[in-house]
Amino acid sequence: MILPATQFAAESSSSGISSLGINLKSFVFQLITFLIVLFILRRWVFPKLVATLEARRKTLEDSLNQARLTEETLQKAEAKAGEILQAARAQADTALAEAQTKAEEIIAKGETAASERGARIIAEAEERLGKEREKLHSELRGELAELVAITTEKVLRQKLNEHEDRVLIERSLKELG
Amino acid sequence: MAGLSRRQLAVYAADQLLSSKPVPAIVRELAAVLISSRRTNQAELLASDIGWELERRGEIANATVTAAHQLSALLQKEVSAFVKKSAKVRQVIISQNIDRSVIGGVRIETAAHSWDKTLSRKLTDIREVS
Repeated sequence: MILPATQFAAESSSSGISSLGINLKSFVFQLITFLIVLFILRRWVFPKLVATLEARRKTLEDSLNQARLTEETLQKAEAKAGEILQAARAQADTALAEAQTKAEEIIAKGETAASERGARIIAEAEERLGKEREKLHSELRGELAELVAITTEKVLRQKLNEHEDRVLIERSLKELG
Repeated sequence: MAGLSRRQLAVYAADQLLSSKPVPAIVRELAAVLISSRRTNQAELLASDIGWELERRGEIANATVTAAHQLSALLQKEVSAFVKKSAKVRQVIISQNIDRSVIGGVRIETAAHSWDKTLSRKLTDIREVS
């Protein structure tokens, strides 16, 4: 194929092309070289290059897809986390409210129990005080009676003579009769 | 009579006394019973039982009168009349007992009855009531 081309170039050089200032031989040779190079490139280089580029493109596309997926997953995870957080907050609020209610109930119960206990203690103290007062009254009454009896006895022993005693006995007999 | 109770002995003695049996004879009989039944320590109690039996039958009451001063004859008569009426007996024997601790008033005790109108009793009542 090269030989007819050179022949054609040799023939052409003598014709009008050379009149344009173009070296036909050189042109043909360069064309052939170009074609050879083009062939080589298309046959061995371009496919590999294209494959490599395609692989890279695919890799990039995969990466992008992966990134998109990751982002979506992240968004979903964030949404889910938000939901979980909200639910947890709601649950925490409920638990807090329940705990507060329970605490108030416990405090109220405690106050009631304390109040009852206080009332009971006061009642017991009052009862004890009443008993003590009664005991003191009784003791005082006893002591007073003893004092009166002793004093009366002393006075009577000093003052009661035989005549008065006789009158007393007569009156006693009348009372008995 | 060895197996007789003190109460039965008292009834027997009262019967004998009221039937005008001599007192020394009755006393000897009772003493024999008490000795044979080894109850000589119950002699005073038996005498008291006899007094109680005689009083129960309305015959005689032995009244012990306790006072702080000696009772006049008039007062003794009044006491005797009172006991006759109250114990419903025909005869009263008065035994007087002087006890300064009674302060004033009189305490009369028979085998079956007791009346205490002494001042010491009244003072004790005051102490006990309070």
